[in-house]
Amino acid sequence: MNILVCLKQILDPEMPSRDFRIDPAGCDADRQAAGLVMNIFCANALETALQFREKHGGKITVITVGASSAEEILRKALALRVDSAVLVKNDHSQRLNPWCVARVLAAAVRKLGDFDLVLTGRESGDWGDGQTGGFLAEELGRPCVSMVDEMKLEASKPGLVQLKRQTDQGWEAIEAKTPTVITVTNNEHNVPRIAKTRDVMQAFRQPLTTWSLAELGVEPQSIADDLASTQVVELTIPKKQSHCEFVTGESLEERISKLAQRIVSIVQSA
Amino acid sequence: MNGELPTREVFWNVTHVWVMYVLLVPTMLVAGYGIYRRFRMWNRGRPEQRFDQPWVRLQFLFRHAVVQQATWKKRFAGFFHALIFWGMIILTVATTVVFIHQDFGLPIMQGQFYLWFQSLTVDIFGALAIFGVSLAAARRWTRPSTQLVHSWEASWILILMLVILVSGFLLEGWRIAATKDPWGMWSPFGYLIAMASNAWMSVPAMQWAHVVTWWFHMGLVFGFLAWAPYTKLLHPLTAVLNLYTAPLTPIGSSLKRIDFDKEESLGVNALSNFTWKDLLDLDACTECGRCTAVCPANAVGKLLSPRDVILDLRHLSRTQDDFTKPIIDATPALSPEALWACTTCGACVESCPVSIAQMPKIVDMRRHLAMEEAVMPDTMEKALGSLEARGHPYAGTQFSRLDWMKGLNVPQRADIQECDVLLWVGCGGALVERNQRVTRAMAQLLEKAGVNYAVLGREERCTGDPARRMGNEFLFQNLARENIATLQRYQVKTVVTACPHCFNTIRNEYPELGGNFEVLHHSQFLERLVSEGKLSPNAQSEAKVTFHDPCYLGRQNKIFDAPRQLVQISVRPPSVEMEKSREKSFCCGGGGGMSFVDEPANQRVNQERARQVLETGADVVAVGCPFCMTMLEDGVNAVRAADPSTRPTQVLDVAELLWDSVRNEPTTV
Amino acid sequence: MGVLGAGQRLSRDLAGGHVGLIVGPTSDALIGEVATFADKIVVIEHPLLDTYQSETTLTALTQACKHLNPHTVLFGNDLPCQELVPRLAHRLGGSAAGDALSLKGQNETVRITRSVYGGKAQATIDLHRSPAIIWVRARAQEPAQAQASSKDIIRVPVSLEQNTSIQLMDRHTEMQGAARLEDARVIVSGGRGLGGPEPFTQLQSLANVVGGQMAASRAACDAGWVPADWQVGQTGKKVSPQLYLAIAISGASQHIMGIADAKTIAAINVDPEAPIFQHCQFGLVEDYRKVVGPLTEKLSELLA
Repeated sequence: MNILVCLKQILDPEMPSRDFRIDPAGCDADRQAAGLVMNIFCANALETALQFREKHGGKITVITVGASSAEEILRKALALRVDSAVLVKNDHSQRLNPWCVARVLAAAVRKLGDFDLVLTGRESGDWGDGQTGGFLAEELGRPCVSMVDEMKLEASKPGLVQLKRQTDQGWEAIEAKTPTVITVTNNEHNVPRIAKTRDVMQAFRQPLTTWSLAELGVEPQSIADDLASTQVVELTIPKKQSHCEFVTGESLEERISKLAQRIVSIVQSA
Repeated sequence: MNGELPTREVFWNVTHVWVMYVLLVPTMLVAGYGIYRRFRMWNRGRPEQRFDQPWVRLQFLFRHAVVQQATWKKRFAGFFHALIFWGMIILTVATTVVFIHQDFGLPIMQGQFYLWFQSLTVDIFGALAIFGVSLAAARRWTRPSTQLVHSWEASWILILMLVILVSGFLLEGWRIAATKDPWGMWSPFGYLIAMASNAWMSVPAMQWAHVVTWWFHMGLVFGFLAWAPYTKLLHPLTAVLNLYTAPLTPIGSSLKRIDFDKEESLGVNALSNFTWKDLLDLDACTECGRCTAVCPANAVGKLLSPRDVILDLRHLSRTQDDFTKPIIDATPALSPEALWACTTCGACVESCPVSIAQMPKIVDMRRHLAMEEAVMPDTMEKALGSLEARGHPYAGTQFSRLDWMKGLNVPQRADIQECDVLLWVGCGGALVERNQRVTRAMAQLLEKAGVNYAVLGREERCTGDPARRMGNEFLFQNLARENIATLQRYQVKTVVTACPHCFNTIRNEYPELGGNFEVLHHSQFLERLVSEGKLSPNAQSEAKVTFHDPCYLGRQNKIFDAPRQLVQISVRPPSVEMEKSREKSFCCGGGGGMSFVDEPANQRVNQERARQVLETGADVVAVGCPFCMTMLEDGVNAVRAADPSTRPTQVLDVAELLWDSVRNEPTTV
Repeated sequence: MGVLGAGQRLSRDLAGGHVGLIVGPTSDALIGEVATFADKIVVIEHPLLDTYQSETTLTALTQACKHLNPHTVLFGNDLPCQELVPRLAHRLGGSAAGDALSLKGQNETVRITRSVYGGKAQATIDLHRSPAIIWVRARAQEPAQAQASSKDIIRVPVSLEQNTSIQLMDRHTEMQGAARLEDARVIVSGGRGLGGPEPFTQLQSLANVVGGQMAASRAACDAGWVPADWQVGQTGKKVSPQLYLAIAISGASQHIMGIADAKTIAAINVDPEAPIFQHCQFGLVEDYRKVVGPLTEKLSELLA
């Protein structure tokens, strides 16, 4: 099985809110305000792929579309012993929306050859669109299974992959024909592993494929069109959303009593 | 015989003495082989330089091998050990005298020397040795404790020593009685036996008993000599070697640097990964159990036992010929669960009378788990992940490194031309709400004293201490190099920090990575400011204070007095000491990455220490470390929640106490 | 209801018609209900739509949209809808957005706002390419207002083929006894500040008294104090109770993401500076240890 895992480097979502800034252009966050990390759901997708490879064999390629700094997350993936890594440099000044990213990824997939499974994270911790997987499935003309948290193969069923996906009510077991696109969510079994130090050191010496958008044959006009379809007109930091009324009182007993009364009034009307 | 030169015949009524000389050969061969085997074992370790500074080493050896400084820390054991030790030394010297007198033909065993040394001194020390062995036996057999290893070997050693010593006295007594030795009185205990024998034994009976006992005594001594190198009685040799080659640096700098350009194995999972000194450590162990007795993890019922780490490694070194076999998890004491329980407090290392480095070996094995296998407790993994991504271990904190300065005028290094002192805030001091108050007190004290200081602000990273103690040496070195570069870029000479972990790392671990800075713990620096008159505290508070020594300040860097003096100038009543203080201080439970671990509810080191704090009846427990602060606060709260009758005790940093007294707002009780 | 409300208002902005779209098996009751809020009702029925299958549904929607040529297609925030949005946008050559909090129409453009960067920022986005395919945060929308019931029911024929690329093998519905956390009306939630798993038993008794369900912050779940599916936040559940009582939760923004739709948030925290208080309607600054026990007693007294 050939597996492609699409990764995204994002501004550390655990950064303190107080450090968060909007960049001068006003349409995205200032990426200098904190560190850059691998998006957590992408890490879950990678972990799912690694576990799948351990059980069923195969090759894992990771790919990201981003600035040169995104090399870092590819090195992290290489330290987890993926087979190869591809960096598609976004030479565009603007942040690409999910449709653009999917278009670029699809072009890379066509250039890299066939994959049985293409994995993306469920959504990213920055813009959180949750659309790249869906767009990519359409770009590739493949089916899409979303919210998957487990992947396996049954030897008796060639050409099929067994998936478990989370639903609003619980979960579903799905059998999907390969090739297919899968978006991965987190559960207790795909908590990302940490790399062995030797592999981390090794990862710095491993080769990396770097392509520009032009090398992939992505037409600038198509990117521009897609970009124009959704335009961020404003990005603001919301003011404190509400004014907290602190319960006051002479004694702790009194304060607890007041707190209890407020809770009761809501509980009874609920 | 009066008027003659006092002496005695060496063999007197024993004949065929040549048999003894013949037997000496196999004895020496067996004993020699025993020792050779050990040497060969140590040789299988990797190289390590431990023979520099011979003069310092000899002084250290004198203090620990002759004076036995460390052994005496346990009074009773120190006492009987000294009796046996000196008894054996004197008896060995006496035997050497006989040897020189008889076999080298140098007549030294005569005259005043014979009377005062060979007779009186030897007799007294022999008797004291019997007393010492009896005490040891009494402890071992009547007061079973988990500290001791209850082995047949240990008991046999005591029995054998007792029989050899007693039979020696019998021989002396019978000889004195049968030869009517005119100088017999010079051997008082032998003389007592002589008088007793005279009462009910004929001279021929005594001669016969003497011959039989002599051969028996000789046989036992030879057997004992041959056997000793195969038992813990090898320790007179190994202890001396181990003490001579002991680390000369503080415990705080006892972790080995890994050279990632060369290193083949990261950390230790095989005996062959240890250095020869580590392997010598194993053979030096006398099984005294002090390390386990002082281990905080062991005290709260965790699996870790530093003694068993050493003894199990020794067992493996003697039973498995293949030194490349995995050792982690080979026994329960070497299981990851045990290894991850270590707070790296260094109490085991401090307690060891023969300078065995238990904690560094535990960290060595953690290194293997963290770097080669990448498996560790989840919570440690999270802390390390955060260190890697954000340069601090507090995943999910909503604080930035600048938040604590809100409302204060704190100079940041990047904004000013130069400064005398760099205040190293540390992750705990910047990102943990409770410790931000300490940092604020510290900044205000520096401002008040007119110190030209600055902080690095966002440019500060974790020093790497938790990464290193959790076994990720690679991450440690990356963080350390980044910090060293920042400090060098700003030409920093003096660093002051309120975190003993940062203090220890910058002081002891940065130099080998090329970073040489003068580092002071804030208690040292503040004490200096007070003594220079730059701060004038008014000790008006009536709080009774006890000081909790941070392991990485006290035991590991031997700084005990500065923080105590600070306490004393900040409050009125004299402070009280906990039973376990200074070198013997009991860890708060937060070192070695353990403050990021969620311990089982009934196995929390911090609560044990909190109970010790509460026993003193102090109003305030003063600390000098951000980890101690949170661990003890949680501990005191938990103990008080379980028993609301407990006295309320505040946890305050020494800087907070000082600030209260400097700004004339005495710490309230 | 939220989706219909959003649609209703958007259609007024655009001075267009508001169409209720029902895909799959339906009933008169449902049609009747939707008819109260929509100008027109479109029903797509086909035997292959009887059980939900994303590929088939997508094909059906695409055909219907090509037939209807809508300006905007709105979806709710359930997981299948979230997956359909980009795919439908792609097939129709439109534009896509998700998690819309507010919507405004202006000629060809639909302007939405949505929360990004884990709630740290709010973005205003214009969708220029028609049709705009959007899923909305349904609970954040004002419900639709009843209007003159429409009689206009259009059944759009679709031609579908059995799609075997994805097959449902098993379905498992959790929480048959207790309500889903997402549907709970009262939630009592604990965080890192509790310091261990033990205090959660106290919180449970408190929750029992007010008839609430238990939840936790990521820190508490990560530490293994409580099951992982109690987690509320960006990477956990997004809840919308009438009352969310946060105890010893500092309020990291990723947690706030999960409770943004709660009607009332109240907090008990020892740190007055804790970010949670910025999102609360009321709160008590106190060590939870001193509060939870007496509060539980007081509440059971008041609710008895």
